[in-house]
Amino acid sequence: MNVLLFGLIAEKAGTDQVQVVVTSVRELRIALEQRIPELSVLSHAIAVDRVIVHHDMPLTGSEEIAVLPPFAGG
Amino acid sequence: MKHSVKDIFVEGPIDPAFIGTSIAKHATRTDIGAHEIFLGQVRADVTPGLTRSHENASLRAGDPVGAGADPSQAQSAGGNVSAIEFTAYREMALERMTIIREEAFTKWPSMTCLHVHHSLGTIPAGQLCFMVFASAPHRLAAREAVAWVVDRIKAELPIFGKEILADSTHVWKRNG
Repeated sequence: MNVLLFGLIAEKAGTDQVQVVVTSVRELRIALEQRIPELSVLSHAIAVDRVIVHHDMPLTGSEEIAVLPPFAGG
Repeated sequence: MKHSVKDIFVEGPIDPAFIGTSIAKHATRTDIGAHEIFLGQVRADVTPGLTRSHENASLRAGDPVGAGADPSQAQSAGGNVSAIEFTAYREMALERMTIIREEAFTKWPSMTCLHVHHSLGTIPAGQLCFMVFASAPHRLAAREAVAWVVDRIKAELPIFGKEILADSTHVWKRNG
């Protein structure tokens, strides 16, 4: 599935999208840290279908996934 | 009252003349007795550069995403912010904004209207990048709603800000 990256996370990854094959948010976090090692020391949140998730949940592959660095609006 | 999804984003700074025009458009709404406006302006902050420290990457439930400092920022020696380059996860930001707007009209049912604009792109220091404008028959509803909406937007909308420093390095802004 396609994962959208924003701001500092996209800068560190050198791209604003990465592809992963995972079946849960837990697997997603592991896959992302392998692709973007800096994630382990960067504050970030995972959004599934435009809602931040705090716990593990299954993913079917049809969700819209995003990795969000700290917000800075206003 | 159901309010449709509105695009809050504008490319570039918010023109003060646009704010004047926005106020003028309310002249026909003679049930309004009070306008309250918050304007955010890009501040030429002096960034602390190397003093920023590391933090744990994991976020607990309820933690604001903006809390804490970031190790990636330590590359910068610090300096004056000359501009902020704003980007956003537009779809999520507009969904969150629609929810916040609905909640605001529920909390302050007398509020007549609520207008929100946020800049994207590069906004030089001294320029306006954020506007929250509420109108109501009486001042208290407008005043309370604006303060509440501003805080909610800063905490919940996925908007990202790259602070461009005078020496062309950058640091990533975070609300907190």
